[in-house]
Amino acid sequence: MFEIKHTLCPSCSVGCGINVILDNDEVVGTFPYKRHPVNEGKNCLNGRNSVERFNDKIGSDIDLDKAIMEISKEINDSDKVTVLLSGNNSLEEASAIKSFSDENNFNIAFYADDLGNFEDVASYNDVENASNVLIIGDILCENPLVGRRIVHAKQNNAKIFSNIKAEKSVTANISDEVSSSSVGEFLDKYSNLDDSSVIVFNTVDSAEDLDKIRNSGLKVLPVYSKPNTKGVLSIVEDNSKDELIEVLNDTDVLLVVNDNIVDEIDFDFKSISKIISLSAFENDTTKISDIVIPIKSWLEYDGSFVNAMGDTQNFSGVLESDVSSVFEIFEKINN
Amino acid sequence: MSYILAKSKNEDILKAGECGGAVTSIFKYLLDEGIVDGVLALSPHDDVYDGIPTFVTNSEDLINTAGSYHCAPTMIGDLIQKYFADKKVAVAVKPCDIRSIDELIKRHKINPDNIYTVGLNCGGTVSPVSGRKMIDLFYEASPDDVISEEIDKGQFIIELADGSEEAVKIHDLEKEGYGRRNNCQRCDVKIPRKANIACGNWGAEDGWTFIEINDDKGQKLIDGAKKAGILETKSPNEAAIEGRAKVEKIMIKMSKKNQEATYPLVNEVEEWNRCIGCYACRDVCPICWCYKNCELSKSYFKDDIIASPMPIAFQGVRLSHMSFSCVDCGQCDDVCPMDIPVSLVFDKLQKKYQNRTGYLAGVSDDIKPPLYSPDKVEL
Ligand SMILES: Cc1cc2nc3c(=O)[nH]c(=O)nc-3n(C[C@H](O)[C@H](O)[C@H](O)COP(=O)(O)OP(=O)(O)OC[C@H]3O[C@@H](n4cnc5c(N)ncnc54)[C@H](O)[C@@H]3O)c2cc1C
Ligand code: SF4
Ligand code: SF4
Ligand code: SF4
Ligand code: SF4
Repeated sequence: MFEIKHTLCPSCSVGCGINVILDNDEVVGTFPYKRHPVNEGKNCLNGRNSVERFNDKIGSDIDLDKAIMEISKEINDSDKVTVLLSGNNSLEEASAIKSFSDENNFNIAFYADDLGNFEDVASYNDVENASNVLIIGDILCENPLVGRRIVHAKQNNAKIFSNIKAEKSVTANISDEVSSSSVGEFLDKYSNLDDSSVIVFNTVDSAEDLDKIRNSGLKVLPVYSKPNTKGVLSIVEDNSKDELIEVLNDTDVLLVVNDNIVDEIDFDFKSISKIISLSAFENDTTKISDIVIPIKSWLEYDGSFVNAMGDTQNFSGVLESDVSSVFEIFEKINN
Repeated sequence: MSYILAKSKNEDILKAGECGGAVTSIFKYLLDEGIVDGVLALSPHDDVYDGIPTFVTNSEDLINTAGSYHCAPTMIGDLIQKYFADKKVAVAVKPCDIRSIDELIKRHKINPDNIYTVGLNCGGTVSPVSGRKMIDLFYEASPDDVISEEIDKGQFIIELADGSEEAVKIHDLEKEGYGRRNNCQRCDVKIPRKANIACGNWGAEDGWTFIEINDDKGQKLIDGAKKAGILETKSPNEAAIEGRAKVEKIMIKMSKKNQEATYPLVNEVEEWNRCIGCYACRDVCPICWCYKNCELSKSYFKDDIIASPMPIAFQGVRLSHMSFSCVDCGQCDDVCPMDIPVSLVFDKLQKKYQNRTGYLAGVSDDIKPPLYSPDKVEL
């Protein structure tokens, strides 16, 4: 049976809608979700690929009960267990993981791209209507559907100033001024902008930059790399890269829930005696994990993500699946 | 070619249908008689702004597909090619849909014997999000209260649950950057004559669908549906036929005017300057059928594009491979994250090609697409 169903893109925090094409309950492609207010049917390559790569899911042919027993043993035997939350976790999953971790007195860690948490953030409309846009990072390429709002701002006569380390970029192509200085110098240079200016950023050099951004008096929009980082920030505090490394240095058993931390931080993961991954897809973290438990992907369960501008969006599973959910796995471990 | 007025004999379909419910009734006939495996039409998902292609195999479900969704700028050619190649399907097609199907038939990517094409005349489609914004700005009613919309006599008309209507002139909406999609404002094929039949409200009496029968297969559709007792027909009067022809002419004239006004304005270099090389325009284009085998997926191109944000190579390959067959469906504009007016560039080139060779994509009766007609490739 041919069907087209709505879901959300899981590939960054912009929160685009995307339609999935199913043929006899198999994911065969994507279709523009033109009714979605965030992206109006437009998705970048990463977004479309996230659906296309669905078929590379980790197979569910493991002895789950045995694996759960092993995990229970590992986490009971150690008093240095760290649970790593992820911006890939839905709000509901993140709450459940937090409770699980609290009940068992585990450490909880969460990395939010070193972008910190901002209570008040600019909306995408604020970006479009800004008088000036300060861009830090190659937003047009990396988060194109926020990049599009910056293009609109330019069409509305905003001035665009960008700070990009790469020599060439599309973001630079649309900017009035481009700098490759440190983020701090860049922010200092444009510290006198009027208050309808917006800072859009997906990277910074240091925590001091975040303070500068906070104190700029301008509207700000941090654009995280994962769909629900903003949502998880409402549940736990984030750790900077340095803090995370400190936590990992003091970890014997690391439980990673749907994340690929290995690709994000420079750390010798061999120093951790057991790494357990719950993941829908294979990645560099599952590759080095001692135990890998397949879990449902976002196409197989209902949940919600909070996008970069703070809107909570619900999504529904588009496929039935026998694979366990994060909730079921934790329940089993607890029992 | 002949003209008829048609009306459903099924009360529910008549009520749900946009005009006489003829299209839905013909689909019901095809499904009930087992002539097709299924029907590919649209049904609203979240609301009337969210028309989604739907494959119906049980004729009872057809009722959910009846009506015209003007805020659903969908494309069906590539879906048929990719997912229905081995099935017998009946499909509702706007002119851009049938033009893409025609181009795919010429490329042997769709077997014409497997499809029944029920055409819908088309004055244009509106993008759903901008359509809602437009209703919010220019109408008293809230976009959430609209149960159906219609384009008639130069107006965009909304109908509310209580039966009341509100209308604003399309010209006024488009002056402000709303209304039909830009490619639709240029689209000069308003009646899908390559479909087996072309259905519309132009020339129709209230509660009837005006049908132009384009070929023998179309005639058989009408005869079969009548024989099955689901459709009644009568002849339209001369004034209606003339009136319809006149509206078509006016619409085409307006489109030509829009073409002349917009073709010279596009600055390709400046527009491509913000292309992120995401291939969305290629992947959605119904004419770019090679998809995964595309020349652009070869490594030498791939590296080039990622290394440099200048997409001239990428767009140049696509332009040279298919712009002469561009059917101006606007899908590429719709999906471009950078709002590059891709269709304007491609359509402009196809029109240039048409002026030199007489070939109008998806309309001209050439047996082979220009790619295989070397005498026509030179511009
Ligand atoms: C966007 C649009 C613009 C139109 N503009 C004109 C016009 O300017 N002049 C004119 O004479 N007629 C126009 N029509 C055709 C007219 O509105 C009726 O669809 C036609 O007369 C058939 O009426 P019916 O009652 O027999 O169809 P119905 O029995 O109501 O069946 C209509 C069929 O069209 C399908 N459909 C609805 N929306 C779309 C869409 N966006 N894309 C593809 N398929 C769709 C439905 O799923 C259904 O199968 C337009 C139709 C559409 C969809
Ligand atoms: S911008 Fe982000 S959310 Fe939108 S399609 Fe791309 S990856 Fe997905
Ligand atoms: S391109 Fe032409 S046929 Fe297609 S939706 Fe627009 S006006 Fe209708
Ligand atoms: S180039 Fe664009 S407008 Fe032309 S056929 Fe392809 S998608 Fe449609
Ligand atoms: S969709 Fe737009 S940004 Fe993406 S490749 Fe095409 S023109 Fe470039």
